[in-house]
Amino acid sequence: MAEDILAPLAGKIIKIHVAPGATVEEDDEVLIIEAMKMETPIFAPCDGTIKALKLKEGDEVEEDDLIAVIE
Amino acid sequence: MRPYFEKMDSLGKELKKGEIKRTQENVEKVLGAEKEIEAAVDKVKNAGFSTEKINARGQMTVWQRLDYLVDEGTWCPLHTLFNPTENIEGTTNVIDGLGKIAGKWAVVIGFDNKVMAGAWLPGQSENILRVTDLAKRLNIPLVWLVNCSGAKLPEQEKFYANRRGAGTPFYRHAELEQMGIPVLAGIYGTNPAGGGYQSVSPTILFAHKDCNMAVGGAGIVSGMAPQGGFNVEMAEALVEKAKVHTAKPPGSVKTHYDATGFFRYVSDEEEGVLDGIKDYMKDMPAYNPKFFRVAEPAAPGFPDDDIMRLLPMDPKKVYSFDQILARLVDGGEHTEFRPDYGPEMYTGLCKVDGFLVACIGNRQGYLGKGYPEYADYPGIGGKLYRQGLIKMNEFVTLCGRDRIPIIWFQDTSGIDVGDIAEQAELLGLGQSLIYSIQQTDVPMMLAVLRKGSAAAHYVLGGPTANRHNAFTLGTAATEIYVMHGETAAVASYARRLVKEKEAGNDLQPVVDKMNELADKYHEKSRPLFCAQTGLVDELVSLTDLRKYMVAFTGSAYQNPKSICPQHQMILPRVIKG
Repeated sequence: MAEDILAPLAGKIIKIHVAPGATVEEDDEVLIIEAMKMETPIFAPCDGTIKALKLKEGDEVEEDDLIAVIE
Repeated sequence: MRPYFEKMDSLGKELKKGEIKRTQENVEKVLGAEKEIEAAVDKVKNAGFSTEKINARGQMTVWQRLDYLVDEGTWCPLHTLFNPTENIEGTTNVIDGLGKIAGKWAVVIGFDNKVMAGAWLPGQSENILRVTDLAKRLNIPLVWLVNCSGAKLPEQEKFYANRRGAGTPFYRHAELEQMGIPVLAGIYGTNPAGGGYQSVSPTILFAHKDCNMAVGGAGIVSGMAPQGGFNVEMAEALVEKAKVHTAKPPGSVKTHYDATGFFRYVSDEEEGVLDGIKDYMKDMPAYNPKFFRVAEPAAPGFPDDDIMRLLPMDPKKVYSFDQILARLVDGGEHTEFRPDYGPEMYTGLCKVDGFLVACIGNRQGYLGKGYPEYADYPGIGGKLYRQGLIKMNEFVTLCGRDRIPIIWFQDTSGIDVGDIAEQAELLGLGQSLIYSIQQTDVPMMLAVLRKGSAAAHYVLGGPTANRHNAFTLGTAATEIYVMHGETAAVASYARRLVKEKEAGNDLQPVVDKMNELADKYHEKSRPLFCAQTGLVDELVSLTDLRKYMVAFTGSAYQNPKSICPQHQMILPRVIKG
């Protein structure tokens, strides 16, 4: 079963902590989006493996953009 | 009103394993910063003579007196690091705080007899005025441990006169007494001149057998009229006079107990003075807590040291305010006011030690699509928008009506700016909040969890903008400034950069100035700076926040001047609908 990580807000990805294939536990910090001078951490919604990373550090995202998939 | 308060809604949730793992670094940062604060506090405690030296003279230190006087586990120090004039002594030379004596809350203050025998120093009167204001706002007794050798004469020009100078506490004592707030004083040591008035201005005087208080001390009595200078012959005469007066200083117990009767009691032992105060405190006006409690006291819903994981030291990181609040209030329970309106602000009713309190705090993070409703840009927590300002205006007004003390939590970057925000009336709504707070005559306290910035620091219950803030706390993460240093550098130098660029000049010198300004802002917004200059009344560890909330709430409900029957409160009904 796969679960998507979507951008909750528009901004810039300033840090990605995981690579494809990495194992994550629920609530691990996966990446950080900077917007309006604040850093918003994005957490893993479940235990699993990062199946795909759709974006890289420095990319701008819009709200609801797909960032990663956890399997 | 049991259905409203006995079991309120649950707030917060347990930390998950991933959260615990990734916040370990933050815990270490918090502990490191708190260690730095503790070191500064230790320096103040160790100022002046050693405890051993004072004890060898047959005296207790002010710290030992406080320890004997105040009920165990209740002492909440305030102004420990306050030293606005950067005295070389490292202190304003008074030690104060909130504590229970014989089971009742009091504001307690004592001269540090280890430092120049408790002399007046620059900044001290400002410290004392904060303390008299605190007793006034909380309507609880003020207890003094007087041991004051008078003015530090070489620096008298810095504090003797002026509207808030060293004599001001005397009329503030009179003011408290006129309001029915008792001032009890234990008197030790030699208290000439200013020390004499510090001694005589309270309501009931408990004297130690070796103390004295006088309009002028031996130093003045043995002096002479000015003769245009000094010579050795005059010095010889002074030696003889001084010997006599030092041996028998004016205003001893023989004078002020036996003759004038100003001293109500005299004790042979230092502890006897404190026992006398304890005995009087038993009779001070106070409601039994059950009169006001809405539920049995209960511990917070989750461990308080979780807060070290939940409050990021990095000011750019967002977090859940609700999670922190759940670790500060009884049972992690609350009733939120207008949860679907003004999402950037938490407003709700909670319990602290079984008493009803109102809590207001900045929520952090992205506020969701379509908010603020008046703008085409997204909203982020920490900022104030139209709905949040309206909600707080309503909430504090209802708290005033129901006589519910308010605890504010700040972590704010300011009020939304720009022409769209002006059209949304934010300037007027900010000032409306100041008006609402000022007319809400209940005690308030503030904890600046992280940022206190711009006008939002004023309108969110800040001590600058109302008479109801009893005290303001800072944490290891606190920073207070009008705006971020880099924002200030841009505001100050942007036009200059344009000019230099157009003139074809090197921009580096301006850039250097910008960095210099940003660095200065950083340095002058740190927790220790905030405490030293009085921007906060005390820096507390994150695990001590609850203790101060308990002290504040217990004090606020001890003897309030105005009460609202629980079953006649309107705010809980407004929330329920």
